[in-house]
Amino acid sequence: MAMIEVEKLTKKYRDRVAIDALSFTIDEGSIVGFLGPNGAGKSTTMKILTGFMPATEGKARVAGFDIFEKPLEAKRKIGYLPETPPLYPELTVRGYLKFVAELKGVPGKQVRAEIERVSTATGITSELDRLTSALSKGYRQRVGIAQALLGDPALLILDEPTEGLDPRQRKEVLELIKSFAGRHTVVLSTHILSEVKAICQRVLIIHRGKIVANDSMEALTKGKETGLEDTFIQLTSE
Amino acid sequence: MRKALALAKKELAVYLTTPWAWVVFTGMAFISSFFFIASLLTFKQVQEVARQAPNGWAQLPPDYQAFRNLTDGVVLNLFSVILVITLFAAPFLSMRLLAEERRQKTFELLMTTPTRTIDIVLGKYLGAVGIVVCTLSVTLVFPVILSILGSSESGTALEWSTVLLGYFALVLWGATCMAIGLFISSLTESQMVAAVITFAVSITWMLIRAVAPGVDEPARSVLAYLSFDTQLQNLMKGVLDLKPLIFFSSVIAFFLFLTHRSIEARRWV
Repeated sequence: MAMIEVEKLTKKYRDRVAIDALSFTIDEGSIVGFLGPNGAGKSTTMKILTGFMPATEGKARVAGFDIFEKPLEAKRKIGYLPETPPLYPELTVRGYLKFVAELKGVPGKQVRAEIERVSTATGITSELDRLTSALSKGYRQRVGIAQALLGDPALLILDEPTEGLDPRQRKEVLELIKSFAGRHTVVLSTHILSEVKAICQRVLIIHRGKIVANDSMEALTKGKETGLEDTFIQLTSE
Repeated sequence: MRKALALAKKELAVYLTTPWAWVVFTGMAFISSFFFIASLLTFKQVQEVARQAPNGWAQLPPDYQAFRNLTDGVVLNLFSVILVITLFAAPFLSMRLLAEERRQKTFELLMTTPTRTIDIVLGKYLGAVGIVVCTLSVTLVFPVILSILGSSESGTALEWSTVLLGYFALVLWGATCMAIGLFISSLTESQMVAAVITFAVSITWMLIRAVAPGVDEPARSVLAYLSFDTQLQNLMKGVLDLKPLIFFSSVIAFFLFLTHRSIEARRWV
């Protein structure tokens, strides 16, 4: 079954076209790398898919729900980590997760167990009572991912989850994401190709607002070690 | 509604950790206690005069009659001061409501969880009203002091029904300022800009009656009617009157509606 179906999705900022008639589908349960040079329209696409902003034209469905016509149903299926983890510096991690769980409509009795579950999964149990402003960048990112996991959404949309992390933290976050395979569908945007190679089964490359590749990892790497880099540079060169 | 309450609770929790809230509370306590003491002194002087006058209160000019009891002579005077402080304080309390969410990028979180815009507006607004209630409750200490230490010719030192009605009016006024502030905070990322514009709008609206004599009817009556000043005078008389109640409720509803529209519209930019 298709988790995301996008048809001719277009977004214009005044006369600048950010994304131009994108069409693609993403199947349930896969981890998809969403690649593209800076300014290619990755974040714009993600913001539209999560219902943060409407498209100028086109359709997008998440888990069968149209994001423009049935936004609440679609949003219930999505866990989203924006480019900057959306934290409140004045709240503790526990207070923050409780607040997000309530916004996501997690039933009152399950909130505690749910916080327990996501903090164990993301390895932040020791930080639950610290203020989010006191956390290191790696932990802030993990809290951002923990927040996305609340309510056990079928689809996770992660916008550059490893941005600004050191190599060790990067590896840990990637492993965490890899462990979601099967349980969640993951769309992961990044411009670090080695990360994509390590965890993604499918790759979607976007350049100047258009899809230039939508294929399985094997097809894009063509069996070579540097295959993905070559394909990426070739497709996004003009 | 649960989501709106969660948002309101978060708003209050965050607020009470910011220095702004405590600066405003302190400012409210300081300025109002200053005026409290001043009106107590006036009250004492007038009482003194009344005692020495051969015919007592009957001989004094009408202006002095208010000083016959603590409720009219001190508390209601104090309320009109608190009202002005609220006008100045509210922009500082409302400036961060939505502006800060945009700056911190937490606005994306609110908009991508399955939360309706109306819940966001109501939650934010409930939080804002909670903050105003906290600020105003700082001044509850004055009537309490009076009712413990004061005395009256008849019955209790204070007419509590009048005092509570006055507080209700103050909360309604504070809630109106916050509704304006919430809307303006939804338009900008800058807290300072939000505060300044909120203040400009509130004070202009407050004093709009002043330009009424210069224009022709029917604009004159409309301006005089719409002025906060006119409506507040009705509200603060200490009698329950439905007209100002409806006026301020309509202003609040109008600004909550504008906030809702503004949040929806900003998504399209």
